[in-house]
Amino acid sequence: MKIRRVLSRVALLAAVSLPFAGVAHASQVTIAVGSEASTLDPQKRDDGGERAINDNIYETLMMRTPQGELVPGLAAAPPTQIDATTWEFKLRPGVKFTNGEPFNADAVVVSVDRIIDPAFASEQMSYFGTLTGAEKVDDLTVRIKTSGPDPILPSRMYWMKMVPAKYSSDPKFATEPAGTGPYKLASWTRGQEVVLDQNPDYWGDKPTIDEVHFRFIGEPGTRMSGLMAGELDVITNLLPEFVSSVPKSAAVQGVETAVIILSTENEATKDERVRKALNLAIDRKALADSLYGGYATPTKGQLVNPRAFGFNEAIEPYPYDPAQAKALIKEAGAEGKTITIVGEAGRWLKDRELIEAVGSYWKDAGLNVEFKIEEFGEYLNQLFDKNHRPDAVFVVNSNELLDADRETSFAYQAGGTASSNKDEEMAEWVKQARVETDVAKRKELYAKITQKAHDNNYLVPLLNMQDIYGFSQRLDWAPRVDAKLMVKEMKVSE
Amino acid sequence: MGAFILRRIFQGFLVVLGVTIVVFVATRLVGDPAKVMLPLSATDEQRAAFEHKFGLDRPIADQFVTFVGDLATFDFGESMWQRRPAMDVVAGRLPNTLKLIAAGLGLAIILALPLGAIAAIRPGGIADRITVFGGLFGLSLPQFWLGLLLIMLVAVKWRLLPTSGYGGWQYFILPAITLAVPATARLMMLVRSSVIDELNQQYVRTARAKGLRFSQVLFGHALRNAMVPFITLAGWEFISALAGYTVVVETVFAWPGLGLTAMQAIRHSDLFLLQAIVFTVAIGIVLVNITLDVIYKLIDPRIKLA
Repeated sequence: MKIRRVLSRVALLAAVSLPFAGVAHASQVTIAVGSEASTLDPQKRDDGGERAINDNIYETLMMRTPQGELVPGLAAAPPTQIDATTWEFKLRPGVKFTNGEPFNADAVVVSVDRIIDPAFASEQMSYFGTLTGAEKVDDLTVRIKTSGPDPILPSRMYWMKMVPAKYSSDPKFATEPAGTGPYKLASWTRGQEVVLDQNPDYWGDKPTIDEVHFRFIGEPGTRMSGLMAGELDVITNLLPEFVSSVPKSAAVQGVETAVIILSTENEATKDERVRKALNLAIDRKALADSLYGGYATPTKGQLVNPRAFGFNEAIEPYPYDPAQAKALIKEAGAEGKTITIVGEAGRWLKDRELIEAVGSYWKDAGLNVEFKIEEFGEYLNQLFDKNHRPDAVFVVNSNELLDADRETSFAYQAGGTASSNKDEEMAEWVKQARVETDVAKRKELYAKITQKAHDNNYLVPLLNMQDIYGFSQRLDWAPRVDAKLMVKEMKVSE
Repeated sequence: MGAFILRRIFQGFLVVLGVTIVVFVATRLVGDPAKVMLPLSATDEQRAAFEHKFGLDRPIADQFVTFVGDLATFDFGESMWQRRPAMDVVAGRLPNTLKLIAAGLGLAIILALPLGAIAAIRPGGIADRITVFGGLFGLSLPQFWLGLLLIMLVAVKWRLLPTSGYGGWQYFILPAITLAVPATARLMMLVRSSVIDELNQQYVRTARAKGLRFSQVLFGHALRNAMVPFITLAGWEFISALAGYTVVVETVFAWPGLGLTAMQAIRHSDLFLLQAIVFTVAIGIVLVNITLDVIYKLIDPRIKLA
């Protein structure tokens, strides 16, 4: 009898105190990303799932503020230019990797040499194409060499994660990472979950969240359900139509911009008046509101990301003027001519819907529009085909380095990866801007490039996409313009 | 019987080899991994370097010789997506898919047998109408939608089970039900029609006339004779689940199985991983077929294996 009473009291006590036991310390968040981390080697793949995790484990010489401003990270100060092709970085002293190796000039040299090694075949090479190597000056000074003058080297170093000099050549490195960042790996169950906990020796401010669980959930509806059921605290790529269903959400202008590239050589689109009409015929505001629920911003007459260096403030957005578009098509004698739009479906948010909506505006202007929605591999074949440019090809450009070189070498420069014009003069400016180290002159060049492309209607820039996040009620975080999921900036209220 | 199984294994070997060769050729004709895997802004030289690293710049005949040589040692090369041996990826995911199929198909079989038999006792009766209606309903539900509906109701609204993921028994329930619903419907309809056929046979009347109870006739004769088509369909359900349905269910429930991995391999044009997956699934199908043949023989001794 007595024993039973005691036992029931103990049970009662336990029942009362248990729910509070976890709260006093150990704050934990669970983040769901859309794609699985394929490796935890931070230099090998160009992979969103991997990046989400490693952005919290590894650090870079330069970093960005949440608003996108480039500031020193593992570097002690912004780099100085020694000569046209050499940049010198002073390193932050006293930083250690979680495996005990020091962060020093050797680590930087290995990080650079490792990622640019052709045998390593890093998928991130498109960010580091100009780098030729690094050399140690002293323990905390390192010089990075480029093949030609490279004004965006500081931005590039914001993308290159620093790895330990010795351990990074160990085969275990891809599964048991060691970085300098605020978090370190606790466990990884492939395909399911990665758990991070705090790096007790972190050199910077101690984060408030102790433990982070990353889960991989590809299906947007399932991700949202997890948030609504209280299993998740942060989900990425929330669909606009789901925003009203989740406890909290936040959106920020992202790095992606949808564009249609017009060919200046093909039958219908070689006429400048037709290209102008194609720009004037589209109501971008209506597309942003109806397709994306307002979570997209009409472009300002250019493809360059508004946060990027080289964005031209002086250019006016293309107005929506269906009457003038119709008149221009008529004047050019292009009424009823066929324009083919090449695109794909499912890779980017509402891509097919956007292509079809643009096509119907063009039909309204008096053209005949043919849609070629291809399987992704075949679509890429056509996007990259230098010899046969489609009349119009849809693509979503992503500018992670936030520098206009990305857009201009991708879609503006004649002979560029996906360009469809033959403007040699403009191509020359793009090449000059790429190696111009005088900031003012460089800005001037991008102003000329974007203005000329705008006036000649080489492109039909559509919308700057916003990144939408869903949060649990208890989570506080302002998303970043570079879409990085920095857990050290997050807070939870209990 | 031993000779039969050996012959079947040899035939199966040829099937697997044939499927693998078709996949080898098909994957190389469709996607270009260097274009799909690298960022859009990558240069032609960077794409060429990537192709070189994975040997995709060599003549296709050359690649084929290496491929067949490695096949003998179950080496499918390095997954371009995960950058580790493709077979390691498959070996990590296959058990999860098999467990899901076992749970889903097991549930379907347990439900389909009694439901189909009950419906067949009086065709056109109340029980029959309810089960047939339920069966048609289950057949017409898109699995994808059913999965999301279950998540919204059971996991979000009632908070009884986790929304997605992999773990203890709680994580199995919703995906297994989603996988089981259409399979149950198909199996149940089959049991129903086969038992109705059997109950109309002359021997049933004879058996009843000599004094056997209806339940004895139903379970001892009619249901037993209905087992051969039932097992054929159950085997087909297993194969379809392995080669297709689990892709949908695993996607909805973020289940780390082979189906979800196949989707990733296709998305990334990961030829090597795709080959390893198709090879594994082909072996699975051959094994299921051999097993079915043996089971037929055990159930119905009249069946001659040739």
